[in-house]
Amino acid sequence: MSHDAPLTPKDVEARSRAMEVLRSKFIALVDDVMAGRVPTLVIRKRTLTNTLYDDVNGLLRLGEGTLKRSFLNVNEAKKFMQTLLMAGIIYEALKNNEYPTIRDLYYRGKHTIKYRDLVSRKTGEENSWEEQKESDSVIRDLEVFIDMLREDMLILSKEKGKIVGNMRIKSGGDVIDLSKMGHGAYSIEPTPDLIEFLDYDAEYVLVIEKDAVFQQLHRIGYWKTNRVLLVTSAGQPDRATRRFVRRLNEELGLPVYILSDCDPYGWYIYSVFKVGSITLSYESERLATPKARFLGVMMSDIYGSPKLNKKPYLTESERSNYIIKASERDRDRADELENYKWFQTPRWKVEIEIFREKRSKLEIEALTSKGLKFLADTYLPSKIEVGDWIA
Amino acid sequence: MGEVVSVEKFKALSPSEFFYRNKEIAGFSNPARALYQTVRELVENALDATDTHYILPDVKVVIRSEGVGGSTGVVADESESYEGVLYSVQVEDNGIGLPPQHVPRAFGQLLYSSKYVLRQSRGMFGLGAKMAILYGQITTGRPAEVITSQILSKKIYYFKVSIDIASNSPIIHEYSILAKNSDWHGTTVRVYLIGDWQRSKQKIHDYVRRTAIIAPYANIYFEDPEGNILMFKRSTEEMPVPPREVKPHPYGVDVELLKRMLSDTTAETLKDFLVNEFQNVGELTALKIIEGAGLKPDLKPSELKLNEINELIKSIKATKIKAPSGRHLSFLGEKLIELGLRETLKPEFAAATTRSASVYGGHAFVVEAGIAYGGKILQSDKPILLRYANKIPLLYDESADVIYDIVDPKKFDWSRYGVPSQSPLAVLVHVCSTKVPYKGVGKEAIADVPEVEREVRIAVREVARKLKAYLSRKAKEFEEVERAVTIAKYIPDVSHSLFKLSDGGVKREVLEEKLLQLLNRRLSMFKIKSLKDVVIEVS
Repeated sequence: MSHDAPLTPKDVEARSRAMEVLRSKFIALVDDVMAGRVPTLVIRKRTLTNTLYDDVNGLLRLGEGTLKRSFLNVNEAKKFMQTLLMAGIIYEALKNNEYPTIRDLYYRGKHTIKYRDLVSRKTGEENSWEEQKESDSVIRDLEVFIDMLREDMLILSKEKGKIVGNMRIKSGGDVIDLSKMGHGAYSIEPTPDLIEFLDYDAEYVLVIEKDAVFQQLHRIGYWKTNRVLLVTSAGQPDRATRRFVRRLNEELGLPVYILSDCDPYGWYIYSVFKVGSITLSYESERLATPKARFLGVMMSDIYGSPKLNKKPYLTESERSNYIIKASERDRDRADELENYKWFQTPRWKVEIEIFREKRSKLEIEALTSKGLKFLADTYLPSKIEVGDWIA
Repeated sequence: MGEVVSVEKFKALSPSEFFYRNKEIAGFSNPARALYQTVRELVENALDATDTHYILPDVKVVIRSEGVGGSTGVVADESESYEGVLYSVQVEDNGIGLPPQHVPRAFGQLLYSSKYVLRQSRGMFGLGAKMAILYGQITTGRPAEVITSQILSKKIYYFKVSIDIASNSPIIHEYSILAKNSDWHGTTVRVYLIGDWQRSKQKIHDYVRRTAIIAPYANIYFEDPEGNILMFKRSTEEMPVPPREVKPHPYGVDVELLKRMLSDTTAETLKDFLVNEFQNVGELTALKIIEGAGLKPDLKPSELKLNEINELIKSIKATKIKAPSGRHLSFLGEKLIELGLRETLKPEFAAATTRSASVYGGHAFVVEAGIAYGGKILQSDKPILLRYANKIPLLYDESADVIYDIVDPKKFDWSRYGVPSQSPLAVLVHVCSTKVPYKGVGKEAIADVPEVEREVRIAVREVARKLKAYLSRKAKEFEEVERAVTIAKYIPDVSHSLFKLSDGGVKREVLEEKLLQLLNRRLSMFKIKSLKDVVIEVS
């Protein structure tokens, strides 16, 4: 991974910041050991019970609960070792100007410890970790412990999100014009904080869950005619996409609209963009976009709502063609969403009520089936224009 | 002494004739049992001749096959014929030796004894060796051979002796005197008999081994007819305090014994008789007994009539008399039992307990228990039970014994003491008393006398508790070792990582050493000396 190309100043700065944080956190442990104190990691708990919804900032975050991981606690010793092992590897990678992926880190740390069981006198073998699941979990602990995301430690992951639009950015020393990507799009890099925004011409950001719909809108030049930065997460959003969207919102002040499938799963994708992931709430402070707006697809778009005085976008025959029966799992998921505070608004209650009543769902693709023109020229612009979105 | 009663009932028979006709009573019911019983009687005599006199026993037992033999002998009963293999059993000891003038009667006359004092001894009827000789001469026609020399004697005496069954008197076949030019002393007895080695082999081996357990202060050499040698070397020079003679306690006498004592006493009056011949009877108690029986204190003892004797017994039972003391009893003690178990069974743990003396009837008794666990002991669903009475191993009738019921996993919840159902466990119980309450005539099982049962139960629980403490300590230690290993195996990785994170500021070896110190400080029962003991390699 090491290369001879000069690092950008942003890269060098990120590297030295991450190294500094790691060093200072772990030097404290070295001091403990040298002073004869039991080395102990104090880490905020990543449990659900320690996950709070922050009303004021509108995002999920970890509570004050911490766990003490002492090296001399037999139940914690291995995790302790793994955390230090991972920290050491990452530190070394930073030092060597490398960009490891989480898979690289898994392989770099994986080794066998041969030991003797002093009771049975038999020799045993144990791997530092077995599956990548284990080392990934250690990385998350480390992120919480040093209060820094892995992207900030220049750890790479697969690229998933894409963007097109009237915007120029600088990445790795290159200026990239996001309006000159042909039929393709710019893949949002795993270290979105190394991206520099140069200039742009857009009024809002539209994030589309489905890659296929994104491509269609791109090809008909939706972003040009509507002055939009078009983003897709291609399903569940990865961290880089979330961070990038957050930066667009926070740094450029662009409104962000989310378009997902009309079902509890699609709504949850919106929720991840907006407040963060429930199981990984520690990321939210950096990744969530609390001001993200849910544009659709709404149940009320399909059926209309007398309560909202809203007419449906689909005719009855279209509905019967496009809607899908909701499954048991969809309904369970809706139950879960109802428990979340940020879904307990009157506006969301209407949507969930219709879902319960109709027991049906709809994919965004159904709207393109009605006609790409309908989606691009009627549905999206009119919803934005009349403000038919949920904050 | 109650056994004497049964002899008395057969007045027409001489004691020799009586035992000859009732061999099974003394354990000579068949050739296998007879061979076992012969070994046993002679070994017990040998031990009684040594440890009872503070001599560290050297006992040598040799059984040899002497070819096919049959009944040809001096006193053969024509109606019986004994077919089988001729064996000789020779037992040699380094005991006090016998005065030559007593040898013929000591080996050639049954019930040769005159004292009415009690002493805990191994011998069963006081006639064990004589029964062996009698059985030998019946089955082979050969007399027994005895070589003996007393400690300060300058001579060694040699006898060939048998028993005239009809008249219960010794027949001396050969007699010689040799000059002694060493300081050897002791007795060697050789008996010829028709036996069955194959069928008694297991029991005899067990017997010798179990004798070694309870006599760790003895050298025991044993050679069997196949040439196998068992050698038990003494592991201590400490010996139990020998038993002391003691007068009978009034609660322990019956009509027959009282009758004999009354006729044999030198006391002039009934009061003096009671005071002189019994333990724990003073003038006051004696007078109380006599008054209770409605008798006069100055009655001449030999003139008491049967109904007066009965009254006297009744009065004794009704009078409060201080319980007999156990001071005269000879028990092994915790140290010796533990040592015996360790040396012979090679366990990983052994413990013992000696209870203080208790009383049943008029007899003092002491119960001791030992426990051994692990090591070379084989796993079994039942503990190996080692029963002893007056230092004699009890091998037969195990399940009839009161001890068996107490130790049996069906009735004793071993799991409460941390012992799993399949365990390498041995339990030893030793009952010593001037009168061991045997069950039945075989004298191989202890009867369920409540007082004895209670003591045995308490003793077994005591040693079981010691085992429990050991097992839980061991389990805790194992747990700690495992905990320590779990942590120690990560020390190299932790140290290496900290070394990297400190930019090499602190050496890896130093961190390893410090972490190991920290870990060791947390361990209470065990320490890791070097990380190399635990971590073989970190790839």
